[in-house]
Amino acid sequence: MGEFFKRHRIAILAVVLLFLSLLLYSYNLRHKGTTTLFEQTVLTITTPLQRGVDGFVKEVGQLWMNYLWLIDTRQENLRLRDEMAQLRARLSAEKEISLENQRLRRLLDFSEDFHHTVLPARVIAEDISSWARTIVLNKGTAAGLREGLPVVAAEGVVGRIIKVAPNSARVLLITDASSAVAALVQRTRTRGVARGAGDHLSLDYASRQAALKLDDLLITSGMGGVFPKGLVVGRIGLIEQGRFGLFQRVDLIPAADFSRLEEVLVLLEDQQ
Amino acid sequence: MKRLFVYLSFGLLLMLLQTTLLPQLLPRVLVPNLLLILLLYLALSEEFVNALLLTLLFGLLQDCFGSTVLGLYAVVHLVIFFMVRVMVTRLSAESPVLLLLLVAAGTLVQAFLVGACLTLFAEAGSVLGILLVTLPVQLFVNLLGAIFLLSGLLYLQPQFGARSGMAGLPHQSRRHGA
Repeated sequence: MGEFFKRHRIAILAVVLLFLSLLLYSYNLRHKGTTTLFEQTVLTITTPLQRGVDGFVKEVGQLWMNYLWLIDTRQENLRLRDEMAQLRARLSAEKEISLENQRLRRLLDFSEDFHHTVLPARVIAEDISSWARTIVLNKGTAAGLREGLPVVAAEGVVGRIIKVAPNSARVLLITDASSAVAALVQRTRTRGVARGAGDHLSLDYASRQAALKLDDLLITSGMGGVFPKGLVVGRIGLIEQGRFGLFQRVDLIPAADFSRLEEVLVLLEDQQ
Repeated sequence: MKRLFVYLSFGLLLMLLQTTLLPQLLPRVLVPNLLLILLLYLALSEEFVNALLLTLLFGLLQDCFGSTVLGLYAVVHLVIFFMVRVMVTRLSAESPVLLLLLVAAGTLVQAFLVGACLTLFAEAGSVLGILLVTLPVQLFVNLLGAIFLLSGLLYLQPQFGARSGMAGLPHQSRRHGA
């Protein structure tokens, strides 16, 4: 017996380690919503480093862009873009409020209003793998963040917090394959699930009968329990209706530009 | 112990590069998987126990930096590590292109294993589609990254007078019988 273990110790070690890793993976699959002590420690240790590198790169980039390269044009462009994004967000929010008012008048005295406390945060790092879509924020439990909180930008929904450490938080973007957001088409009120597909989203369960159009705006339906109702998710970029089936294929272009994401807002609480 | 610390620091540096510096300079799809290259290099040239420990640790660290579930990359890295260790006894470790071939094979195997794990065990939606779309470019940039790292090592070797422990390079260590 001892001789057997001695001869095959490498193979036994390999099997044991693989089995233990699989057990760890399996355990964490069932506890996705929590941040383990190991993850918290790694995030806590690496956040200052990430923040430092990020700050250094941004400083150098800004120095180059602002002082050496078209100083006025760049700043004006940034200001106008920012202004445009804010106006767009306000416009779509007002349109949604107006539509909501019409429905509420029809439903007599029903009223709904909510206010959110928001916390601004900065993106300091991105995902290490090419297939997953997550970002790291420079705020954590010390600032009142916790797992499950929604994250938005001026243009629309960004994602939700999945891991949190004292001074940093990891956000699962809505474009990640494991992300699903309950959404509805603003114009037709067609419900569906906006699922991440890498650089875009797909709208699952969009009824075949729904008369959707390209460029229709999608907003959160408030059904998933994470995102409040009325936040912009994206626009319809592709519609395909097969000859059979209950649903149509709908691809969405996310409202937020994830390649240029620098500052975001975390919705802290939802007071009905 | 010192070697472990050096490798660990180097691995952390690569992770920082991959998560903070490179995404600001390059489009996401053009960021090479530097940690995979380091992992393959370790599997090829380091002592078994050291390499195994580092592989497991880098797997767990990569889970913290990039996966939604802790343990995914630990499993994937361990499988790749054991595959390389089994293969390396049958290959000429002195060939300079060995690491490049391993990087190509490692990229494919990693994508396959990640896809398999997420599809079989997790509700990962269209992750296979994302992996397949990015795989050719990832393969290319990983090879470029490996060439760049190898060139750096070849340049640094004479500077520090170290010619041992460099897998896939002309001057091989005692571990590979040179």
